Amino acid sequence: MSDIEIDLTLPLAPFTLAVQWSTDERALGVFGASGAGKTSFLETLAGLRPRASGRLRIHGRTWFDSASGFRLPPEERGVGYVPQDGLLFPHRDVLGNVLTGARRARQGRGVRIDPERVLDLLGLTGRGGSAVADLSGGERQRVALARALCAGPELLLLDEPLGGLDLPLRRRILPYLLRVEREFGVPSIVVTHDAAEVSLLSREAIVLEAGRVAARGRPSDLFLGRDMLGRRGAGAHTNILRGRVVAVAHGTARLDAGSGIHVSAVAPPGLCLGDDAAVLVGAEELIVAVESPHGLSAQNVVPGVVRELIPSAEGGGSVAVTVDVACAREPLVAALTPEAAARLSLASGRAIFLVWKTHACRALAAGPATLKETA
Amino acid sequence: MTSSVLLPLLLSLKVASITTLLIVPLGALAGLLLARRRFTGRSAVETLLALPLVLPPTAVGYLLLRLLARDGPFGVKNLRFDPDLLLTWKGAVLASAVMSLPLVARTARVAFEEVDPRLETMARTLGLSPLRTFFEITLPLARRGLLAAALLGFARALGEFGATVIVAGNIPGRTQTLALAIFSDIQSGDDRRALWLVGLTVALAFAVVYAVEALLRRRTAPA
Repeated sequence: MSDIEIDLTLPLAPFTLAVQWSTDERALGVFGASGAGKTSFLETLAGLRPRASGRLRIHGRTWFDSASGFRLPPEERGVGYVPQDGLLFPHRDVLGNVLTGARRARQGRGVRIDPERVLDLLGLTGRGGSAVADLSGGERQRVALARALCAGPELLLLDEPLGGLDLPLRRRILPYLLRVEREFGVPSIVVTHDAAEVSLLSREAIVLEAGRVAARGRPSDLFLGRDMLGRRGAGAHTNILRGRVVAVAHGTARLDAGSGIHVSAVAPPGLCLGDDAAVLVGAEELIVAVESPHGLSAQNVVPGVVRELIPSAEGGGSVAVTVDVACAREPLVAALTPEAAARLSLASGRAIFLVWKTHACRALAAGPATLKETA
Repeated sequence: MTSSVLLPLLLSLKVASITTLLIVPLGALAGLLLARRRFTGRSAVETLLALPLVLPPTAVGYLLLRLLARDGPFGVKNLRFDPDLLLTWKGAVLASAVMSLPLVARTARVAFEEVDPRLETMARTLGLSPLRTFFEITLPLARRGLLAAALLGFARALGEFGATVIVAGNIPGRTQTLALAIFSDIQSGDDRRALWLVGLTVALAFAVVYAVEALLRRRTAPA
């Protein structure tokens, strides 16, 4: 019997949501385009969709079983729900919001977390007395997360936790989400339409398409599969490299990615020497060179071997070139035009170099939890 | 002079206050049901609640009179005790309660409708029971609108005339409220007292409506 057992059906207007998912993994992701049923799925887990049928067992406790007519009300389910728009209570200050679920945290079976510690960890120190209206978008999102964490959750449900935030803000909040998992060890389900977020925040994910589970597996396997890469188009892919910070200066950081390979990336404020970090670089930022390049201003030159070429499903688009590199278990993906791929006569097994600028990639502080993916 | 002005004023305040205390919980409950629940007969309840707004107050008063008459459905014969409402200040309370309830219920309904129901479901996921959700989330968020509803109900009760005069009569010192006293003074040609009373009523109404407007404005102001 798995730790998390989901077998749910929910009739929605255009289709029926049907998800079967049993897993012992604790960091879960749900990937899908908007309108695929992701939010409905989370709301069903939280007990907010009365028309659902099926079975739901979380950590050995039945939350829902329509066959026997059993339904645990939302307040007894022990979820930490963080909706897309935060939904903070406007009549309470930050601390008032965070403590809303404190009663259940004391009595429930979920993890018990000190509110002060959560506020500190989420960069909200001293903001307890602030009015909700005075918060920035990023702060609201973090308060909503803090509130969910302090309600003694057995399962965190994060709905597009970075959705609706602009890019700089996303970069600042993502590390907090990574830390939550490492610090508190609460199992979580993250829903997002961003593949990089799924890859960073989960170790097992499903792909939802029109309410059905189209694929399931490790995020790297999901997004690097021939099918997915071809369908999404190479340009949509974000590569993730992991390493340890060995130098920080002038807003950039140098990471040791292993196997003697170093990567330079834009560093967020607060990234420190010795931190574990992830480097995100879009497939379209990668340049492929068939000979060792020299005299370049670009700092990152990583040797690799072409694994395969995957044309995008939409004709005339780009070609995804997957490249095995020594410093990562998964191949990196470069998006090239079909012309460029043909001109370089790229083929499986060919030794090449991947080149990209420091400013084309950004580093994120990432906990060891996301690093020990293979453990 | 002062006592003859004071008496109707005090009686009006007493009747309007007690009316407000009675109809605010009732109106809030009706408003909450209409704002949050879909039930059969919903339209009927809505229409019934709107009736006193459109019917002539005298018609409502007459209906109450028939209901409360000795041999009426709520008369002493049927109830086997005397509700003692006709021609008493309590009758004035009943009449103004019936006339003011629709206003309170409607304002309360809007107040509850303006509370995002997703905030309530959010509270549920945080472990709050439906009852605690109501008292910790819904009620505080609707409080301005509910206060406005109470003030509007109070103001409406203060000005009630048509139904009151039929149910409670116009007995000086016992059931003669401000509105009734003004009517009597005009009838009897006591312009001086009528003017005094009208002035008082205008001042009271102004204060109440001003407070309501301020409440509603602050509620809808952008956060």
